[in-house]
Amino acid sequence: MKKSNVAMLIVFLALIPLTLFLGDKLPGKGYYITGVLIIIELAVPFFMMFEKRKPQARELVVLAVMIALAVIGRVAIPIPHFKAAFAIIMLTGIAFGPEAGFIVGAITAFASNFFYGQGAYMPWQMMAYGAGGMLAGFVFIKNKIPKKPWIMAIFGFLAVVIWIGPLLDTSHIFIMMPEISFATITASLASGFPVNVSQGLCTALMMIVFGKPLLEKLDRVKQKYGMLEDENGI
Amino acid sequence: MKQDSFSKLHPAVNLLFFIGAICFGVLLQHPVYLLAGIFASGVYYFFLNGRKGMKNILLMIPLFIFITLFNPIVNTRGVTVLFTYFDRPYTLEALIYGVAVAATFVLMLLWFGCYGKVLTGDKFTCLFGNLAPSLSLLLVMVFRMIPNLLQKAKQIVGARSSIGKGTAEKSSIKDKLGSGMTVIGVLTSWALEGSITTSDSMRSRGYGTSKRTSFTVYRMTNTDWILTFVMFILLGVVIFFAANGGMNAEFLPERNITPINGFNVIGFIAYLGYLMIPTILNVKEVIQWNISRSKI
Repeated sequence: MKKSNVAMLIVFLALIPLTLFLGDKLPGKGYYITGVLIIIELAVPFFMMFEKRKPQARELVVLAVMIALAVIGRVAIPIPHFKAAFAIIMLTGIAFGPEAGFIVGAITAFASNFFYGQGAYMPWQMMAYGAGGMLAGFVFIKNKIPKKPWIMAIFGFLAVVIWIGPLLDTSHIFIMMPEISFATITASLASGFPVNVSQGLCTALMMIVFGKPLLEKLDRVKQKYGMLEDENGI
Repeated sequence: MKQDSFSKLHPAVNLLFFIGAICFGVLLQHPVYLLAGIFASGVYYFFLNGRKGMKNILLMIPLFIFITLFNPIVNTRGVTVLFTYFDRPYTLEALIYGVAVAATFVLMLLWFGCYGKVLTGDKFTCLFGNLAPSLSLLLVMVFRMIPNLLQKAKQIVGARSSIGKGTAEKSSIKDKLGSGMTVIGVLTSWALEGSITTSDSMRSRGYGTSKRTSFTVYRMTNTDWILTFVMFILLGVVIFFAANGGMNAEFLPERNITPINGFNVIGFIAYLGYLMIPTILNVKEVIQWNISRSKI
Protein backbone atom coordinates (compact mmCIF):
# COMPACT_ATOMS: atom_id res chain seq x y z
CA MET A 1 0.00 0.00 0.00
CA LYS A 2 1.15 3.53 -0.68
CA LYS A 3 2.46 5.53 2.23
CA SER A 4 -0.09 8.30 1.82
CA ASN A 5 -2.94 5.78 1.84
CA VAL A 6 -1.62 4.32 5.10
CA ALA A 7 -1.54 7.82 6.56
CA MET A 8 -5.12 8.38 5.40
CA LEU A 9 -6.26 5.12 7.03
CA ILE A 10 -4.50 5.95 10.31
CA VAL A 11 -6.19 9.35 10.32
CA PHE A 12 -9.70 8.07 9.66
CA LEU A 13 -9.59 4.95 11.82
CA ALA A 14 -7.56 6.11 14.80
CA LEU A 15 -6.71 9.79 15.02
CA ILE A 16 -10.16 11.32 14.43
CA PRO A 17 -12.08 9.00 16.77
CA LEU A 18 -9.37 9.55 19.40
CA THR A 19 -9.64 13.34 19.00
CA LEU A 20 -13.41 13.19 19.29
CA PHE A 21 -13.16 10.98 22.38
CA LEU A 22 -10.61 13.18 24.15
CA GLY A 23 -12.20 16.39 22.91
CA ASP A 24 -15.47 15.42 24.54
CA LYS A 25 -13.75 15.55 27.91
CA LEU A 26 -12.49 19.13 27.45
CA PRO A 27 -14.31 21.77 29.49
CA GLY A 28 -15.80 25.03 28.25
CA LYS A 29 -15.70 25.62 24.53
CA GLY A 30 -13.28 22.76 24.04
CA TYR A 31 -15.23 21.72 20.97
CA TYR A 32 -13.54 24.57 19.11
CA ILE A 33 -10.15 22.95 19.71
CA THR A 34 -11.55 19.56 18.72
CA GLY A 35 -12.91 21.04 15.49
CA VAL A 36 -9.60 22.68 14.57
CA LEU A 37 -7.66 19.50 15.31
CA ILE A 38 -9.96 17.39 13.15
CA ILE A 39 -9.65 19.80 10.22
CA ILE A 40 -5.86 19.71 10.54
CA GLU A 41 -5.93 15.91 10.68
CA LEU A 42 -8.09 15.80 7.56
CA ALA A 43 -5.91 18.24 5.65
CA VAL A 44 -2.48 16.86 6.52
CA PRO A 45 -2.76 13.69 4.35
CA PHE A 46 -3.64 15.83 1.32
CA PHE A 47 -0.74 18.17 1.89
CA MET A 48 1.51 15.16 2.52
CA MET A 49 0.51 13.63 -0.81
CA PHE A 50 1.39 16.90 -2.50
CA GLU A 51 4.78 17.09 -0.79
CA LYS A 52 5.61 13.42 -1.36
CA ARG A 53 4.99 13.81 -5.09
CA LYS A 54 7.78 16.42 -5.20
CA PRO A 55 5.87 18.74 -7.54
CA GLN A 56 8.01 20.19 -10.28
CA ALA A 57 8.75 23.86 -10.85
CA ARG A 58 6.20 24.28 -13.66
CA GLU A 59 3.35 22.91 -11.64
CA LEU A 60 4.25 24.99 -8.59
CA VAL A 61 4.50 28.24 -10.52
CA VAL A 62 1.20 27.74 -12.36
CA LEU A 63 -0.56 26.88 -9.10
CA ALA A 64 0.99 29.98 -7.53
CA VAL A 65 -0.38 32.11 -10.39
CA MET A 66 -3.87 30.67 -9.89
CA ILE A 67 -3.69 31.25 -6.14
CA ALA A 68 -2.50 34.82 -6.67
CA LEU A 69 -5.37 35.46 -9.10
CA ALA A 70 -7.88 33.98 -6.65
CA VAL A 71 -6.51 36.06 -3.78
CA ILE A 72 -6.77 39.18 -5.93
CA GLY A 73 -10.31 38.09 -6.86
CA ARG A 74 -11.10 38.01 -3.18
CA VAL A 75 -9.25 41.09 -2.00
CA ALA A 76 -9.64 43.46 -4.95
CA ILE A 77 -13.44 43.28 -5.48
CA PRO A 78 -14.85 45.85 -3.09
CA ILE A 79 -18.39 44.41 -2.84
CA PRO A 80 -18.75 42.29 0.33
CA HIS A 81 -19.84 38.66 -0.13
CA PHE A 82 -19.46 38.98 -3.89
CA LYS A 83 -15.99 37.62 -4.60
CA ALA A 84 -14.46 36.01 -7.65
CA ALA A 85 -12.21 33.70 -5.62
CA PHE A 86 -14.55 30.68 -5.64
CA ALA A 87 -14.91 30.75 -9.42
CA ILE A 88 -11.14 30.86 -9.97
CA ILE A 89 -10.57 28.04 -7.46
CA MET A 90 -13.24 25.89 -9.11
CA LEU A 91 -11.91 26.59 -12.60
CA THR A 92 -8.46 25.48 -11.45
CA GLY A 93 -10.02 22.28 -10.12
CA ILE A 94 -11.85 21.80 -13.42
CA ALA A 95 -8.72 22.36 -15.49
CA PHE A 96 -6.06 20.60 -13.40
CA GLY A 97 -8.01 18.06 -11.34
CA PRO A 98 -9.13 17.61 -7.74
CA GLU A 99 -5.71 17.73 -6.08
CA ALA A 100 -4.73 21.04 -7.69
CA GLY A 101 -8.20 22.36 -6.81
CA PHE A 102 -7.74 21.46 -3.17
CA ILE A 103 -4.26 22.96 -2.91
CA VAL A 104 -5.27 26.18 -4.69
CA GLY A 105 -8.40 26.53 -2.54
CA ALA A 106 -6.73 25.89 0.78
CA ILE A 107 -3.71 28.11 0.11
CA THR A 108 -5.95 30.88 -1.28
CA ALA A 109 -7.87 30.98 1.99
CA PHE A 110 -4.66 30.99 3.98
CA ALA A 111 -2.82 33.58 1.86
CA SER A 112 -5.75 35.99 1.53
CA ASN A 113 -6.13 36.03 5.30
CA PHE A 114 -2.76 37.73 5.51
CA PHE A 115 -4.59 40.66 3.88
CA TYR A 116 -7.87 40.31 5.76
CA GLY A 117 -6.32 39.33 9.08
CA GLN A 118 -6.21 35.80 10.43
CA GLY A 119 -9.25 34.76 12.34
CA ALA A 120 -10.54 31.88 14.39
CA TYR A 121 -12.42 30.69 11.31
CA MET A 122 -9.22 30.18 9.25
CA PRO A 123 -9.13 26.34 9.42
CA TRP A 124 -12.76 26.18 8.25
CA GLN A 125 -12.01 28.53 5.38
CA MET A 126 -9.07 26.45 4.23
CA MET A 127 -11.21 23.33 4.42
CA ALA A 128 -14.22 24.83 2.63
CA TYR A 129 -12.24 26.53 -0.16
CA GLY A 130 -10.12 23.43 -0.68
CA ALA A 131 -13.16 21.17 -0.68
CA GLY A 132 -14.79 23.44 -3.27
CA GLY A 133 -11.84 23.17 -5.64
CA MET A 134 -11.67 19.43 -5.08
CA LEU A 135 -15.38 18.95 -5.77
CA ALA A 136 -15.09 20.88 -9.03
CA GLY A 137 -12.19 18.66 -10.01
CA PHE A 138 -14.14 15.48 -9.29
CA VAL A 139 -17.34 16.59 -10.99
CA PHE A 140 -15.67 17.61 -14.23
CA ILE A 141 -13.10 14.81 -14.29
CA LYS A 142 -12.26 13.28 -17.68
CA ASN A 143 -14.70 15.44 -19.68
CA LYS A 144 -17.74 13.34 -18.73
CA ILE A 145 -19.71 16.51 -18.10
CA PRO A 146 -19.23 19.08 -20.87
CA LYS A 147 -17.41 22.20 -19.71
CA LYS A 148 -20.03 24.60 -21.08
CA PRO A 149 -20.25 27.99 -19.37
CA TRP A 150 -23.88 27.61 -18.28
CA ILE A 151 -23.27 24.11 -16.90
CA MET A 152 -20.30 25.42 -14.95
CA ALA A 153 -22.40 28.38 -13.78
CA ILE A 154 -25.12 26.09 -12.41
CA PHE A 155 -22.51 23.87 -10.83
CA GLY A 156 -20.76 26.91 -9.32
CA PHE A 157 -23.95 28.28 -7.83
CA LEU A 158 -25.03 24.95 -6.35
CA ALA A 159 -21.54 24.16 -5.08
CA VAL A 160 -21.35 27.45 -3.20
CA VAL A 161 -24.89 27.29 -1.79
CA ILE A 162 -24.96 23.66 -0.69
CA TRP A 163 -21.32 22.69 -0.25
CA ILE A 164 -18.78 25.49 0.32
CA GLY A 165 -21.17 27.90 2.07
CA PRO A 166 -22.53 25.45 4.64
CA LEU A 167 -18.99 24.16 5.30
CA LEU A 168 -17.96 27.75 6.04
CA ASP A 169 -21.04 28.32 8.19
CA THR A 170 -20.15 25.39 10.43
CA SER A 171 -17.36 27.62 11.76
CA HIS A 172 -20.04 29.83 13.37
CA ILE A 173 -21.32 26.84 15.32
CA PHE A 174 -17.86 26.23 16.73
CA ILE A 175 -16.86 29.85 17.32
CA MET A 176 -19.97 31.85 18.26
CA MET A 177 -22.47 29.31 19.51
CA PRO A 178 -22.64 28.19 23.14
CA GLU A 179 -23.13 24.52 22.31
CA ILE A 180 -23.57 22.15 19.40
CA SER A 181 -27.25 21.32 19.09
CA PHE A 182 -29.92 21.14 16.41
CA ALA A 183 -31.04 24.70 17.21
CA THR A 184 -27.58 26.25 16.91
CA ILE A 185 -26.80 24.32 13.72
CA THR A 186 -29.99 25.47 11.99
CA ALA A 187 -29.47 29.03 13.24
CA SER A 188 -25.93 29.12 11.81
CA LEU A 189 -26.90 27.63 8.48
CA ALA A 190 -29.94 29.90 8.13
CA SER A 191 -27.97 33.05 8.92
CA GLY A 192 -25.38 32.10 6.32
CA PHE A 193 -27.89 31.36 3.57
CA PRO A 194 -28.29 34.88 2.06
CA VAL A 195 -24.51 35.33 2.00
CA ASN A 196 -24.11 31.98 0.27
CA VAL A 197 -26.70 32.88 -2.36
CA SER A 198 -24.91 36.16 -3.06
CA GLN A 199 -21.55 34.38 -3.34
CA GLY A 200 -23.15 31.71 -5.50
CA LEU A 201 -24.55 34.31 -7.90
CA CYS A 202 -21.15 35.94 -8.21
CA THR A 203 -19.56 32.56 -8.90
CA ALA A 204 -22.17 31.76 -11.56
CA LEU A 205 -21.65 35.15 -13.18
CA MET A 206 -17.89 34.69 -13.20
CA MET A 207 -18.27 31.22 -14.69
CA ILE A 208 -20.39 32.56 -17.55
CA VAL A 209 -18.19 35.55 -18.34
CA PHE A 210 -14.77 34.27 -17.41
CA GLY A 211 -15.09 30.48 -17.37
CA LYS A 212 -14.51 29.69 -20.99
CA PRO A 213 -11.65 32.13 -21.69
CA LEU A 214 -9.78 31.06 -18.55
CA LEU A 215 -10.21 27.35 -19.28
CA GLU A 216 -8.98 27.92 -22.82
CA LYS A 217 -5.92 29.71 -21.50
CA LEU A 218 -5.19 26.98 -18.98
CA ASP A 219 -5.70 24.26 -21.57
CA ARG A 220 -3.40 26.10 -23.93
CA VAL A 221 -0.63 26.27 -21.35
CA LYS A 222 -1.28 22.63 -20.48
CA GLN A 223 -1.02 21.52 -24.11
CA LYS A 224 1.81 23.80 -25.08
CA TYR A 225 4.05 22.67 -22.26
CA GLY A 226 2.50 19.31 -21.40
CA MET A 227 1.91 20.06 -17.76
CA LEU A 228 0.36 18.28 -14.80
CA GLU A 229 -0.37 15.25 -16.91
CA ASP A 230 2.55 12.86 -17.18
CA GLU A 231 4.47 12.38 -14.00
CA ASN A 232 8.00 12.24 -15.33
CA GLY A 233 7.84 14.52 -18.32
CA ILE A 234 7.94 17.89 -16.62
CA MET B 1 3.77 50.85 14.29
CA LYS B 2 5.87 50.89 17.39
CA GLN B 3 8.54 48.22 17.65
CA ASP B 4 7.01 45.21 19.37
CA SER B 5 9.68 43.37 21.32
CA PHE B 6 7.60 40.17 21.47
CA SER B 7 7.60 40.01 17.66
CA LYS B 8 11.39 40.06 17.69
CA LEU B 9 11.53 36.69 19.43
CA HIS B 10 11.88 33.41 17.58
CA PRO B 11 8.67 32.53 15.65
CA ALA B 12 8.41 29.21 17.49
CA VAL B 13 8.15 31.06 20.80
CA ASN B 14 5.46 33.33 19.34
CA LEU B 15 3.49 30.37 18.03
CA LEU B 16 3.75 28.51 21.33
CA PHE B 17 2.48 31.55 23.19
CA PHE B 18 -0.55 31.96 20.94
CA ILE B 19 -1.42 28.26 21.01
CA GLY B 20 -1.38 28.37 24.80
CA ALA B 21 -3.28 31.64 25.06
CA ILE B 22 -6.02 30.64 22.59
CA CYS B 23 -6.45 27.09 23.89
CA PHE B 24 -6.84 28.20 27.49
CA GLY B 25 -8.93 31.19 26.48
CA VAL B 26 -11.37 28.77 24.89
CA LEU B 27 -11.26 26.14 27.61
CA LEU B 28 -11.55 28.25 30.76
CA GLN B 29 -15.09 29.54 31.20
CA HIS B 30 -14.51 31.00 34.65
CA PRO B 31 -15.56 34.68 34.59
CA VAL B 32 -12.42 35.92 36.36
CA TYR B 33 -10.19 34.04 33.92
CA LEU B 34 -12.19 35.32 30.95
CA LEU B 35 -11.79 38.84 32.25
CA ALA B 36 -8.04 38.31 32.63
CA GLY B 37 -7.88 36.99 29.08
CA ILE B 38 -9.80 39.93 27.63
CA PHE B 39 -7.68 42.37 29.60
CA ALA B 40 -4.36 40.85 28.49
CA SER B 41 -5.36 40.37 24.86
CA GLY B 42 -6.99 43.83 24.72
CA VAL B 43 -3.88 45.58 26.06
CA TYR B 44 -1.60 43.76 23.63
CA TYR B 45 -4.02 44.29 20.73
CA PHE B 46 -4.17 47.98 21.51
CA PHE B 47 -0.38 48.14 21.68
CA LEU B 48 -0.03 46.45 18.29
CA ASN B 49 -2.73 48.39 16.45
CA GLY B 50 -2.80 51.77 18.16
CA ARG B 51 -5.85 53.96 17.67
CA LYS B 52 -7.28 51.74 14.92
CA GLY B 53 -7.14 48.87 17.41
CA MET B 54 -9.26 50.88 19.86
CA LYS B 55 -11.88 51.34 17.16
CA ASN B 56 -11.93 47.61 16.43
CA ILE B 57 -12.27 46.83 20.13
CA LEU B 58 -15.26 49.19 20.38
CA LEU B 59 -16.82 47.49 17.34
CA MET B 60 -16.80 44.22 19.25
CA ILE B 61 -19.20 45.54 21.89
CA PRO B 62 -22.40 45.19 19.79
CA LEU B 63 -21.30 41.68 18.83
CA PHE B 64 -20.78 40.92 22.49
CA ILE B 65 -24.29 42.10 23.37
CA PHE B 66 -25.84 40.21 20.45
CA ILE B 67 -24.24 36.88 21.38
CA THR B 68 -25.19 37.37 25.04
CA LEU B 69 -28.85 38.01 24.25
CA PHE B 70 -28.95 35.27 21.60
CA ASN B 71 -27.81 32.46 23.86
CA PRO B 72 -31.00 32.10 25.96
CA ILE B 73 -32.98 31.72 22.73
CA VAL B 74 -31.20 28.53 21.71
CA ASN B 75 -30.55 27.45 25.27
CA THR B 76 -33.54 27.09 27.55
CA ARG B 77 -31.93 25.34 30.48
CA GLY B 78 -31.59 27.21 33.77
CA VAL B 79 -33.69 27.53 36.92
CA THR B 80 -34.49 31.24 37.13
CA VAL B 81 -37.00 32.09 34.41
CA LEU B 82 -36.98 35.78 33.51
CA PHE B 83 -39.95 35.65 31.10
CA THR B 84 -41.53 33.31 28.59
CA TYR B 85 -42.22 33.82 24.90
CA PHE B 86 -44.02 31.34 22.60
CA ASP B 87 -44.02 28.98 25.62
CA ARG B 88 -40.22 29.01 25.73
CA PRO B 89 -38.47 30.20 28.90
CA TYR B 90 -35.77 32.88 28.79
CA THR B 91 -33.59 32.09 31.76
CA LEU B 92 -31.13 34.13 33.80
CA GLU B 93 -28.56 31.32 33.87
CA ALA B 94 -28.56 31.04 30.10
CA LEU B 95 -28.12 34.81 29.87
CA ILE B 96 -25.12 34.70 32.20
CA TYR B 97 -23.74 31.78 30.23
CA GLY B 98 -24.24 33.93 27.14
CA VAL B 99 -21.93 36.54 28.66
CA ALA B 100 -19.27 33.86 29.08
CA VAL B 101 -19.74 32.64 25.49
CA ALA B 102 -19.57 36.20 24.15
CA ALA B 103 -16.48 36.89 26.23
CA THR B 104 -14.80 33.77 24.82
CA PHE B 105 -15.65 34.96 21.33
CA VAL B 106 -14.23 38.45 21.86
CA LEU B 107 -11.16 36.91 23.44
CA MET B 108 -10.60 34.75 20.37
CA LEU B 109 -11.05 37.74 18.06
CA LEU B 110 -8.46 39.71 20.02
CA TRP B 111 -5.89 36.92 20.27
CA PHE B 112 -6.23 36.07 16.60
CA GLY B 113 -5.89 39.77 15.77
CA CYS B 114 -2.59 39.84 17.68
CA TYR B 115 -1.55 36.55 16.06
CA GLY B 116 -2.01 38.02 12.59
CA LYS B 117 0.18 41.00 13.47
CA VAL B 118 2.94 38.96 15.09
CA LEU B 119 3.18 35.81 12.96
CA THR B 120 3.59 37.32 9.52
CA GLY B 121 3.97 35.28 6.33
CA ASP B 122 7.77 35.14 6.47
CA LYS B 123 7.73 33.85 10.05
CA PHE B 124 5.23 31.19 9.11
CA THR B 125 7.31 29.95 6.18
CA CYS B 126 10.37 30.03 8.45
CA LEU B 127 8.60 27.69 10.89
CA PHE B 128 7.19 25.26 8.34
CA GLY B 129 9.69 25.68 5.49
CA ASN B 130 11.54 22.48 6.31
CA LEU B 131 8.42 20.48 7.06
CA ALA B 132 6.59 21.35 3.83
CA PRO B 133 9.10 22.81 1.37
CA SER B 134 6.85 22.79 -1.71
CA LEU B 135 3.90 24.36 0.07
CA SER B 136 5.99 27.10 1.65
CA LEU B 137 7.62 27.84 -1.69
CA LEU B 138 4.12 28.09 -3.14
CA LEU B 139 3.13 30.52 -0.41
CA VAL B 140 6.22 32.66 -0.90
CA MET B 141 5.63 32.80 -4.65
CA VAL B 142 2.01 33.84 -4.08
CA PHE B 143 3.07 36.70 -1.83
CA ARG B 144 5.50 37.88 -4.51
CA MET B 145 3.00 37.50 -7.35
CA ILE B 146 0.12 39.50 -5.87
CA PRO B 147 1.83 42.94 -6.02
CA ASN B 148 3.47 41.89 -9.29
CA LEU B 149 0.11 41.10 -10.91
CA LEU B 150 -1.51 44.27 -9.61
CA GLN B 151 1.31 46.36 -11.03
CA LYS B 152 1.06 44.56 -14.37
CA ALA B 153 -2.69 45.19 -14.42
CA LYS B 154 -2.02 48.92 -14.08
CA GLN B 155 0.44 48.74 -16.98
CA ILE B 156 -2.11 46.95 -19.17
CA VAL B 157 -4.77 49.55 -18.40
CA GLY B 158 -2.29 52.32 -19.21
CA ALA B 159 -1.21 50.71 -22.48
CA ARG B 160 -4.82 50.22 -23.57
CA SER B 161 -5.81 53.79 -22.85
CA SER B 162 -2.79 55.12 -24.75
CA ILE B 163 -3.92 53.32 -27.90
CA GLY B 164 -7.43 54.67 -27.46
CA LYS B 165 -9.01 51.54 -26.04
CA GLY B 166 -9.35 52.78 -22.48
CA THR B 167 -12.60 53.63 -20.75
CA ALA B 168 -13.64 57.08 -19.65
CA GLU B 169 -15.76 58.09 -16.67
CA LYS B 170 -18.88 58.33 -18.80
CA SER B 171 -18.46 55.06 -20.69
CA SER B 172 -21.39 52.68 -20.44
CA ILE B 173 -21.25 49.87 -17.89
CA LYS B 174 -21.12 47.36 -20.71
CA ASP B 175 -18.00 48.99 -22.12
CA LYS B 176 -16.36 49.17 -18.71
CA LEU B 177 -17.18 45.52 -17.99
CA GLY B 178 -15.93 44.43 -21.40
CA SER B 179 -12.73 46.39 -20.98
CA GLY B 180 -12.27 44.97 -17.49
CA MET B 181 -12.69 41.43 -18.79
CA THR B 182 -10.09 42.06 -21.50
CA VAL B 183 -7.65 43.36 -18.91
CA ILE B 184 -8.20 40.30 -16.70
CA GLY B 185 -7.81 38.02 -19.70
CA VAL B 186 -4.56 39.67 -20.80
CA LEU B 187 -3.27 39.59 -17.25
CA THR B 188 -4.04 35.88 -16.91
CA SER B 189 -2.35 35.01 -20.21
CA TRP B 190 0.68 37.07 -19.31
CA ALA B 191 0.91 35.53 -15.83
CA LEU B 192 0.56 31.97 -17.11
CA GLU B 193 3.11 32.43 -19.90
CA GLY B 194 5.41 34.24 -17.49
CA SER B 195 5.09 31.39 -15.04
CA ILE B 196 6.49 29.00 -17.64
CA THR B 197 9.51 31.24 -18.12
CA THR B 198 9.97 31.38 -14.36
CA SER B 199 9.76 27.63 -13.99
CA ASP B 200 12.18 27.00 -16.87
CA SER B 201 14.58 29.39 -15.21
CA MET B 202 14.10 27.57 -11.90
CA ARG B 203 14.78 24.23 -13.53
CA SER B 204 17.90 25.41 -15.29
CA ARG B 205 19.22 26.64 -11.96
CA GLY B 206 18.75 23.17 -10.54
CA TYR B 207 15.41 23.27 -8.76
CA GLY B 208 14.45 19.78 -7.64
CA THR B 209 17.86 18.22 -8.21
CA SER B 210 18.72 17.96 -4.55
CA LYS B 211 17.24 18.64 -1.16
CA ARG B 212 16.50 22.30 -0.68
CA THR B 213 18.11 24.11 2.18
CA SER B 214 16.50 27.06 3.82
CA PHE B 215 17.84 30.19 5.39
CA THR B 216 16.21 31.95 8.31
CA VAL B 217 17.18 35.11 10.07
CA TYR B 218 15.76 33.83 13.33
CA ARG B 219 17.95 32.07 15.89
CA MET B 220 16.92 30.71 19.25
CA THR B 221 18.69 33.11 21.64
CA ASN B 222 19.06 32.73 25.39
CA THR B 223 16.03 34.96 25.92
CA ASP B 224 13.99 32.65 23.71
CA TRP B 225 15.01 29.55 25.65
CA ILE B 226 14.33 31.23 28.99
CA LEU B 227 10.92 32.44 27.86
CA THR B 228 10.02 29.00 26.50
CA PHE B 229 10.98 27.51 29.84
CA VAL B 230 8.95 30.11 31.76
CA MET B 231 5.95 29.56 29.48
CA PHE B 232 6.02 25.80 29.99
CA ILE B 233 6.28 26.24 33.78
CA LEU B 234 3.34 28.68 33.87
CA LEU B 235 1.25 26.47 31.58
CA GLY B 236 2.07 23.50 33.82
CA VAL B 237 0.85 25.40 36.89
CA VAL B 238 -2.34 26.44 35.07
CA ILE B 239 -3.01 22.85 33.95
CA PHE B 240 -2.37 21.57 37.49
CA PHE B 241 -4.92 23.94 39.03
CA ALA B 242 -7.41 23.45 36.21
CA ALA B 243 -7.22 19.67 36.62
CA ASN B 244 -7.86 20.00 40.35
CA GLY B 245 -11.02 22.00 39.75
CA GLY B 246 -9.64 25.37 40.82
CA MET B 247 -10.99 27.03 37.68
CA ASN B 248 -14.34 25.29 37.33
CA ALA B 249 -17.37 27.31 36.45
CA GLU B 250 -20.78 25.90 35.61
CA PHE B 251 -23.68 28.02 34.48
CA LEU B 252 -26.39 25.58 33.47
CA PRO B 253 -28.75 24.61 34.92
CA GLU B 254 -27.44 26.29 38.08
CA ARG B 255 -24.59 28.67 38.64
CA ASN B 256 -21.66 27.01 40.35
CA ILE B 257 -18.52 29.09 40.11
CA THR B 258 -15.45 28.16 42.11
CA PRO B 259 -14.28 31.19 44.06
CA ILE B 260 -10.70 32.34 43.50
CA ASN B 261 -9.28 32.21 47.00
CA GLY B 262 -6.57 30.60 49.06
CA PHE B 263 -4.45 28.24 47.06
CA ASN B 264 -6.26 28.86 43.76
CA VAL B 265 -4.85 32.39 43.57
CA ILE B 266 -1.53 30.85 42.44
CA GLY B 267 -3.24 29.35 39.39
CA PHE B 268 -4.78 32.69 38.52
CA ILE B 269 -1.47 34.53 38.88
CA ALA B 270 0.23 31.95 36.66
CA TYR B 271 -2.45 32.37 34.00
CA LEU B 272 -2.33 36.15 34.07
CA GLY B 273 1.46 36.09 34.08
CA TYR B 274 1.48 33.85 31.02
CA LEU B 275 -0.91 36.09 29.11
CA MET B 276 0.94 39.26 30.05
CA ILE B 277 4.31 38.04 28.69
CA PRO B 278 4.17 40.18 25.50
CA THR B 279 3.03 43.25 27.44
CA ILE B 280 5.67 42.74 30.13
CA LEU B 281 8.38 42.45 27.48
CA ASN B 282 7.22 45.69 25.88
CA VAL B 283 7.02 47.55 29.18
CA LYS B 284 10.51 46.31 30.05
CA GLU B 285 11.75 47.61 26.70
CA VAL B 286 10.27 51.08 27.34
CA ILE B 287 11.80 51.24 30.82
CA GLN B 288 15.20 50.14 29.54
CA TRP B 289 15.04 52.71 26.78
CA ASN B 290 14.23 55.49 29.20
CA ILE B 291 17.00 54.45 31.59
CA SER B 292 19.60 54.29 28.84
CA ARG B 293 18.43 57.62 27.49
CA SER B 294 18.67 59.30 30.87
CA LYS B 295 22.29 58.18 31.15
CA ILE B 296 23.33 60.15 28.07
